[in-house]
Amino acid sequence: MTEMTSAPASSDLERGYRRLIACYPRSFRKDNGEEILTVLLATAQEGQRRPGLSESADLVKGAIRMRMGLSRTPRTVLYAVRLMYLGAVAELAVLITVILTAGHIRAAVQSALAAYHNPAVTAQVMHAVNIDLVVDKVVIPVVIVLWLFMAWANGKGYDWARIAAVCLFALSCVGLLIDLVQSVAKYAPAALISSGVTWVIGLAAVVLILLRQSGPYYVRRPATR
Amino acid sequence: MNTRPMQEATFLILTALATGSQHGYGIISEVAEISGGRVRLRAGTLYTALDRLRADELIEVDREEVVDNRLRRYYRLTPEGGRRLAAEAARLQANANAALKRLNPALGVI
Repeated sequence: MTEMTSAPASSDLERGYRRLIACYPRSFRKDNGEEILTVLLATAQEGQRRPGLSESADLVKGAIRMRMGLSRTPRTVLYAVRLMYLGAVAELAVLITVILTAGHIRAAVQSALAAYHNPAVTAQVMHAVNIDLVVDKVVIPVVIVLWLFMAWANGKGYDWARIAAVCLFALSCVGLLIDLVQSVAKYAPAALISSGVTWVIGLAAVVLILLRQSGPYYVRRPATR
Repeated sequence: MNTRPMQEATFLILTALATGSQHGYGIISEVAEISGGRVRLRAGTLYTALDRLRADELIEVDREEVVDNRLRRYYRLTPEGGRRLAAEAARLQANANAALKRLNPALGVI
């Protein structure tokens, strides 16, 4: 066992270290603050009066990692959170596509309906298309917010977030199945692909947060990470 | 998920704990010794790593002592931590053996 060397007696140095340790989240400080201080004082140079630049940078970097929740998060949860952010990005891409191609979609449908020479049917279908586009523009931003919220809450380790993520994924599965069964014809290949991609992302994220390695992170009381 | 190669600092910290429990300063000293003085862990890096390793259940707190009014917390490997370290050591050894064998075929198996 390595013996600890005597720490240089400098109240200035200790105060400096305490100021740096104060950058860490409160719960971490409470649990580890004194211990880190002991190590810092033990590893300080003889006669050192202030924290060095590189050790200060190291402590600040550690504090930032703690505050961003990058330290305690198991890799499984970390990957799940990243996938959830990816899900939000994928939905954003869908939203941008819908906004940019809304005119083309209307024109394409109108052009296809022109062959039937039935103004009443054309008006009815165009009305339905417009409603679909408006619903997409409203629903997709909500879905993006849900992806981001789930990423944040699961990253924090809230147990309810894991349950909520599973429920939302189950809900999306049911919704997707109903849509597919009821109206396969209305789905364009691009829409099917985008739905498939976001579904796979959701599935992977849910599997990751349900893995055994993720369990302890959620069971533990979420601290200020 | 657990087969991902370890970072060097993580590997050295687990190695430092392989022979028994150590407190923070002890780990820093052991890591410096194991690496021939090449790796000198700083406190911020060490405690970020210890926090993560505890979350991953690869290490756990063995005991706490107060020496000269200062807290010393001793950490030890968990059985899973020991398994992960052994697996990583075997992986590194296999890679090193392969590299040395190719560098000098006359050496044969190391």
